[in-house]
Amino acid sequence: MWLGIGLGALLLLAFTALSFMAGSPKDAVYMVRYALPYMHRGHLKVGDTAPDAKLLALDGTRHFHIRERTGARPLVIVFGSYT
Amino acid sequence: MVQLYNDYKDHADFLTVYVREAHPTDEWQMKSNVKEDVCYAQPKTLEQRVAIANDFVKRFNYPIPFGIDDMSNAANDAYSAWPERLYVIDENGRIAYRGGMGPFDYKPEEVRAWLAARFGAVQHPEAKPPSANAASSKS
Repeated sequence: MWLGIGLGALLLLAFTALSFMAGSPKDAVYMVRYALPYMHRGHLKVGDTAPDAKLLALDGTRHFHIRERTGARPLVIVFGSYT
Repeated sequence: MVQLYNDYKDHADFLTVYVREAHPTDEWQMKSNVKEDVCYAQPKTLEQRVAIANDFVKRFNYPIPFGIDDMSNAANDAYSAWPERLYVIDENGRIAYRGGMGPFDYKPEEVRAWLAARFGAVQHPEAKPPSANAASSKS
């Protein structure tokens, strides 16, 4: 019984902390449901060969690879979205 | 980032990689997005993602070269990019800088420091306040 109470208290504390971080309890729920599955630390580190990937240009028709933009000068890559 | 791009585009290449939406209307929508009228559902097709990316570029007159991740999210997965992250790839194709996960660890100033160490700092003169002489001459 005490273990259950302890675990419950711990979960409540975790949810409170998450709510504070996310902005509200509703945001905390959405964060767990929609954000956490996609948030990955990943394994890349400085010194690793940069992965290549095929991208689409803004015109929606032309494709190019990330590796085509590397070689001559350093390449700064900005990953993100509008929302 | 646009200021950083303008400061160093003569020395380094820049590429924006557009990935899966961070706060679409049908997932974890942010109140700030509603205020700013940035309301888009998570794209289900590449055409939808392309359309949103184009809206972004047009709205902000965004100058940084652009590429869009396809719906397999290959680039996003390879770089653990979501929701936002910065990298610098050196001339040998190796990762020279790997930023932290956004939003809290998304730090353009770290990229600026890397570029400054390599190519020199770019100074921006601070805007001068109106001088006392100019103010008194008008009265």
